[in-house]
Amino acid sequence: MFSRRDGIPHWPLHVLLVLFTLFALYPILWVISIAFSGRQSLAITTLPESPTALERVRAIIPWPETWSASNFTSVMTEQPFGHWLFNSAVIALGTTVVGVFLACTAAYAFSRFKFVGQRTGMMAFLVSQMFPGTLMLIPLYIILVQWLGLGSSRLGLMIVYATTSIPFSVWMLKGYFDTIPKDLEEAALMEGASVGKIFWTIILPLAKPAVAVTALFSFMTAWNEFILAATFMDQEAMYTAPVGLRFFVGGYSQQWGYFAAGSIIVSIPVVFLFLFLQKYLVSGLTAGSVKG
Amino acid sequence: MRNPVPHPPSSEPGNPAALLTDSSGLDGAPGSGEPSGGAGALRRWRVLVGLFLSLGVALFIAQGLLAKALDSVSTERADRQSFVSLRALEDLVQRAGGSGDAVRAVVDSWKTQLPAGSAVRVVAFSGIRLEASTFPEDVGERAAPRRLSREEKPLYDRGQRLRAAVETNREEGSARKLEVEAEALPDGGRLLSAPVEVEGSVVGMVELATAPLAAPLKPSLPTLLLCWLLPLALCAVASFVVRRQGVLVAVSVVALVVGLGAYGSYSLGTLGAEVRGTQTLVAEQVRAMSERAQAVMAERQLATEPALRPGDWDADAYRRPLGLVSPEGQVNESVVSARMEELRSGVSRAITGLGVAALVVLLFIGLGGVHRTVATVVENRTAYLYIAPAMVGMLVLVFFPFFYGIALSFTDSTLYNAGQPFMNLWVGLRNYVEILGDFNIVKRAQDGSLVFNYLNFYYTLFFTVVWTITNVVLGVTLGLVLALILNVDKLALRPVYRVLLILPWAMPNYITALIWKGMFHQQFGVVNHIIRMFGGQGLSWYDTPFTSFLTVLATNGWLSFPFMMVVSLGALQSIPMELYEAARVDGASRWQQFTAITLPALKPALVPAVILSVVWTFNQFNVIFLVTEGEPSHSTEILITQAYKYAFQLYRHGYAAAYSTIIFGILLLYSMVQNRVSRATEAA
Repeated sequence: MFSRRDGIPHWPLHVLLVLFTLFALYPILWVISIAFSGRQSLAITTLPESPTALERVRAIIPWPETWSASNFTSVMTEQPFGHWLFNSAVIALGTTVVGVFLACTAAYAFSRFKFVGQRTGMMAFLVSQMFPGTLMLIPLYIILVQWLGLGSSRLGLMIVYATTSIPFSVWMLKGYFDTIPKDLEEAALMEGASVGKIFWTIILPLAKPAVAVTALFSFMTAWNEFILAATFMDQEAMYTAPVGLRFFVGGYSQQWGYFAAGSIIVSIPVVFLFLFLQKYLVSGLTAGSVKG
Repeated sequence: MRNPVPHPPSSEPGNPAALLTDSSGLDGAPGSGEPSGGAGALRRWRVLVGLFLSLGVALFIAQGLLAKALDSVSTERADRQSFVSLRALEDLVQRAGGSGDAVRAVVDSWKTQLPAGSAVRVVAFSGIRLEASTFPEDVGERAAPRRLSREEKPLYDRGQRLRAAVETNREEGSARKLEVEAEALPDGGRLLSAPVEVEGSVVGMVELATAPLAAPLKPSLPTLLLCWLLPLALCAVASFVVRRQGVLVAVSVVALVVGLGAYGSYSLGTLGAEVRGTQTLVAEQVRAMSERAQAVMAERQLATEPALRPGDWDADAYRRPLGLVSPEGQVNESVVSARMEELRSGVSRAITGLGVAALVVLLFIGLGGVHRTVATVVENRTAYLYIAPAMVGMLVLVFFPFFYGIALSFTDSTLYNAGQPFMNLWVGLRNYVEILGDFNIVKRAQDGSLVFNYLNFYYTLFFTVVWTITNVVLGVTLGLVLALILNVDKLALRPVYRVLLILPWAMPNYITALIWKGMFHQQFGVVNHIIRMFGGQGLSWYDTPFTSFLTVLATNGWLSFPFMMVVSLGALQSIPMELYEAARVDGASRWQQFTAITLPALKPALVPAVILSVVWTFNQFNVIFLVTEGEPSHSTEILITQAYKYAFQLYRHGYAAAYSTIIFGILLLYSMVQNRVSRATEAA
């Protein structure tokens, strides 16, 4: 195989990489061209009865016959997609604020104090990551919809997302808090600062990078979540963007143009966040699992 | 790989803590923090408070249960008495032909014996007529007989419902629908309606409105106080005599048992007397009604054949005789005794359950559990304060649903009976037996050919395992190969390739799944266009299990290689160059360099990544659910999507919960095995 100083020619590698990059990008390019084709069809061009070879090739090249932004404008104006995006944004932001606050305080306690139930608590958080979603889904449905009456409400979904993201966030934040030297806090303690003051004025500012990563992670989870939202939101006005997108191409409706345009609108913020985040995510994920 | 979220070198004992907690030597050794002076008195009080609280709460709950039971006995009595009157009237109306003057005459002579506040009416379906009525609103212009008015449609609808119920039950040969409707009236009385059958067809209905029910017997408060305070007083006296804590606790346990037992026998006695009294009253009612009916029959010269069967008038809402009263109007002792036996076992079960719970509380308080818990909480209050918000959320929305889900798996709860109490739906291990004990992987179709039973648990498990393994292998291979290529020194455009290849991972995966579903569309999908371009025929991908599997494999493969690529690339770049140089100096071949340097360096990064992606793929809901949707005929369902379908498409909540619990068991087993294996490899 190849190591870094091998004197092998580069062009076969480039061929391989280009082919693979095409494979990786093809679905994305394809969505982009449908979104800009101005039509609702899955196909990029209309094929005649007996197409020639050239026309067949044309049908798979992701380049629309005519470019038009009409899908974008009508998905935002004629369809309730703007409203769905708003729902998603409110839910994702709320989840981030609530989830990060809960995770920060809990992680700080787990990192800095020794108390009865510490190990059990951390283990419980870890095991909770193993519950299959469906096992939780029915009871959550009963609690949220039948007992609390929070079906089809943003608040209900926000609470669920915030709590279910706690375990992962706590594991990530605790790891970071552990690396912050304790001398600083000891000094502050000597000066007579309270534990709350130490937490707010020393620990949180120092842990800013980890808090930011956790926040972005919470935001992305809530922004991308599909199953819970699909189960709890049964009024069209309360759909989140994922549920709404599914609505365009699920069942009997086949509005692929709207779907493609909506997908691009939804993906752009996530893709940028993600590209910015990915190295942190990988280390966070794998480091967490080694410890478990 | 840069690691901005570093983790400390595992949690060595006493690691980060002890900073802010004062370590004055009083650590959490149970009970060691108690003051030694006056401990005896403190312990004595603890036992007494424990007994007071546990016995009090248990008795309070028992009192509530008893009140509820007495209430239902009293309602049952009122219902059964009115039932007898209603059925007797129904019998007479039937003999009078269901409509016409004879019916009016019967109601006329019947109303003399109705208690104050009750009323009857007869509705005939032919002509939609109110035949006779003693209801206060039906006087003057509205007096029977007359056609039902528009606002009396509910009345007519009720009659039609009863008719339909009788016909359904007759057709199916079983009691499936209620043949008598009962509803509460605003004034506290009840309105009962029963169909009237003449020569095998329903021609009308009779209704009886009763006077407000008598208030049910209330459980006595003095008994409650006696059962509560007397054992407590005994225990208090004993506490001055007994010096040893263990003996005192034993005494309090005995006191608890005695108190609760006494109350149990009191409630059984009260309930039993009420139930027996009910039988006597109903029997009296039957005798009185039958005498009255005989008199009316003689007076109005109604048909005496077939003979009256007054015993049948005491019936349930399906008009099935209860058998508690004999045809002669005597109480049927053996049936009543059986009923009493049932009652006794129910009461003793409830009291035993309460007793066990109270005992736990008593011992917890009496042996100092609460004391120690409070001490622990006070000692660590800052820490608990910080954790509390997260813990409350987790308890309500994660741990409680989890245990609720497991409890649900022992019931046959569905969407339709969700309102019923848990214990009524309890089926024990039936769901598990049904899932795990079903080995019918192959079944015979109607034409005799063998077909796979794709709904079978073991098939789905098999498919899930195949799905997980193929996906992880595919993801790791692609990711590793790409990482090795991208790691080649001085490769042009390396950062560009890197960013572009990560894009599939960045897209939200439900969007990806729907895109791929579109690309495999039979008519318009791009994949079929490509096949046609090379002269092939387009496939309908979702029609056979294998091609359907290929579509999800492609989708998930596309989704998962970037993660593996990034992980491997990170590990590869951290290998120091000098190692390869030294190897080359020693004359190692390229392959030897790969196996001796590259692979071992990759292992620490790849092993956790593989473990993680196994769990992810095992639970990859979105791809399966959105791409194949289990097509064809559930053959590409994985465990988690199957559980979802049982829950939210077939609404079998209990069954789906059992299914999910099994999935949880599998994952737990996997993580335990993996933990052990990885520890073993670390040690080696």
